[in-house]
Amino acid sequence: MSKNMATSLVRQTKLLSIVSSQLNSAACFRNIHCTAACLKNRAARIRVGKGDKSVTYEQAYHPHHIGHRKGWLSQHTSNLQGEDGAAERVVEDVFIRRFMYGTFHGCLADEVVIKRRGNLLVICAVMIQKLLPSKFYFLIGYTVELLSHFYKCPVQIEMQTVEEKVVYKYL
Amino acid sequence: MKTFLTLTSFSPTQKLFSLSQESGRNAAKYFINTYPKYFQKDYAQPHIPCLMPETLEAQIEEASEAALIERIRMRKVKAAVDLYDQLLQAGTSVSLDVTNQLLDLICFCGDHDPAQENVPEQRNEETVGWSHHKTIGRLFLFFPFRENNNAERIFALLSEPNTHSYSALIRGMVKYGAYSKAFSTYTDLLNNRLKADVQTFNALIIAAPEVKEKYNEKWELIVDLLKQMAEQKVKPNLLTLNAVLKALRRCGTLGKSQAFPVISEMKALSIGLLSDHYLLLLLQERSATIQGQTDILQEVMNEVSGKSFTAQDPDDGICISLQVHELLGVGENWRLLGNDFQQNIYYARFFSLLCMMENIDVMLKWYRDLVPSVYYPSSNIMRDLLQALDTDNRLDLIPQIWKDIKQLGHANRQNLVEELLILMAREKHNQEVQESFAECALDIKKIYDTGDRGKVLLSWTAGSLSDLISVLLAAHRRQDAWEMLKLFKTHNRVPSEELLNRFLTCVKEAGEVNQAVELVQISAGFCLPETPKLIQRVQQEFELTEQKYINFVLWIAGSAFTVDEAESSPGSSHVVAAPSSNPPAAPFSSPPASAHFSSLCVSL
Repeated sequence: MSKNMATSLVRQTKLLSIVSSQLNSAACFRNIHCTAACLKNRAARIRVGKGDKSVTYEQAYHPHHIGHRKGWLSQHTSNLQGEDGAAERVVEDVFIRRFMYGTFHGCLADEVVIKRRGNLLVICAVMIQKLLPSKFYFLIGYTVELLSHFYKCPVQIEMQTVEEKVVYKYL
Repeated sequence: MKTFLTLTSFSPTQKLFSLSQESGRNAAKYFINTYPKYFQKDYAQPHIPCLMPETLEAQIEEASEAALIERIRMRKVKAAVDLYDQLLQAGTSVSLDVTNQLLDLICFCGDHDPAQENVPEQRNEETVGWSHHKTIGRLFLFFPFRENNNAERIFALLSEPNTHSYSALIRGMVKYGAYSKAFSTYTDLLNNRLKADVQTFNALIIAAPEVKEKYNEKWELIVDLLKQMAEQKVKPNLLTLNAVLKALRRCGTLGKSQAFPVISEMKALSIGLLSDHYLLLLLQERSATIQGQTDILQEVMNEVSGKSFTAQDPDDGICISLQVHELLGVGENWRLLGNDFQQNIYYARFFSLLCMMENIDVMLKWYRDLVPSVYYPSSNIMRDLLQALDTDNRLDLIPQIWKDIKQLGHANRQNLVEELLILMAREKHNQEVQESFAECALDIKKIYDTGDRGKVLLSWTAGSLSDLISVLLAAHRRQDAWEMLKLFKTHNRVPSEELLNRFLTCVKEAGEVNQAVELVQISAGFCLPETPKLIQRVQQEFELTEQKYINFVLWIAGSAFTVDEAESSPGSSHVVAAPSSNPPAAPFSSPPASAHFSSLCVSL
């Protein structure tokens, strides 16, 4: 009796699986929303080309060189044992980088370095001397005020200007 | 102390930078206050209220005294006045205190809403008080006191105005220029047998010079007021002293003689001479016009050096200014140096005095102390410094000074650079000094060339070019000097005779025959009158081979040499005589050649 039930159950589940597989191949299936493929062996690497593309030090070295030949672009303590807030820091960093890229459009010579010391947010940027110094000061004042009101913490910008982008090599 | 991106000369550019940074901040504030919903998320624990968007709307809506107080606190003048009227019409009485506060507000803000609260130089909190009169007063003078305005109206509505109300009204009137009204209100107050407080008196003293015409009337009025103050047993305070001094400035010469007795009286009343902005302004005025105030000032200085006080008066003697500087080191006195502009003036005067009076070592010691940490000297000060170096024969320090000049951004001042060149080129120094001068000169040359954006910073003059070349020659940099010589042509300047002579001497030392010949050609190209002399020198001093010699002479013959010049100079006869006097140099093999040559010379 039990054996009979078992075999009938197995047959039923087999049927179900056949039916569901047929259904899956048809139009109705559940979707998972995912991004485009972000291959880890293509991230942050500029590939060797004809030799006419100028590349800064930061761009020339690949991510596995971080800690060996490169430093970190974002410095905070939330990745230490027992500290939390790492994800929020990442989101803030992304926003800050986009904000700097847009506000000082075309002037950034290299990636922005973000450091957090306690409550203070320090944004270190190297700029090309594309604008007049007074315009730079205007944008600095604007950025500091806006970001400090946005993140409710003191924000400081340390800026350095160079005449041209500092080229490390040509790829 | 703010740091700046570029090292600039003081005041104008740094002020520009601070102002542009401030306007950036204002732009951000505008966005924050216009779209407050994006800035509401509160990350900070504990809450930081100054980083939240400003809520400018009044919270309490219903008509009550608390609402009135709130509007007063938020400086909403119109809303406060409307609310007050509402309250009165509704029949609720408003207490005298609150009414006084309202009067204060109206008189302070001049019957309109304070629109500009974010002026760059005022970052202090503006309490509804009368401090910072000087800075704020500048803004509000544009709004004159109108007739039948709210202040007077509300004042009239008061059943029993007390001292505070009168004082608020009088001070408002004085602030906005209704001086005679202020005095009539004061007489009202006296008629009501009320006592005025010290602030009222201060305001009246400030108003006094405006009401009367002649100097002595003004002074009498002030004295009158002070007497009344004494009668009403109101103690004068520091602001009184300041007000009196300010008023005295308007009294002309009479004021100047009265100033010191006033001060000594005030001292007798033991009012501290702490913030004597006005005193030093007065002193500046005095020292500008009257000479020989040294003794009075020394008196002041001696008394005052015991206390925390300083004054700016470097016009009168180096010892005083050194004393002053010492005082600056004492305690809080640096604050008294005032804002950047006055600091600038002070240091400019200090340095010019130092350059004139002291010897070079003291000067340099102060220079290294103060520049560039505290003060960026202007180009005039650098000129004075150069002259001081010259007087003391310390010209070897010039390259260092040049580096400073470049750093401070004065390298584009034509007269400064030219003076530098003149000083370098004037005398002959020993070898290392000349080397450093040459480096400096090449550096200067770079400045003269066009910048990478194509703008020409400085233009060559004949003098500056000559100086530069002489410096290079003195350091035996013949090649560089040679290139510089070509610049004469490109910039349409004419070299001087001594320069060419010096060049020739230098070339002779090196024994470069070709260069010598080219030098003569250049000089002929400029049609200089000393060309024949140069030719003569070349022929005498240089050993020309036969071929070169013939080429040279042929060139002289065929060149654009005017007959006048050839005839006027005695050199022509020498040219003729030259072949015979140069037997070792040019042994002529064939007599026909020499005959041909002499015929050529004669035809010149």
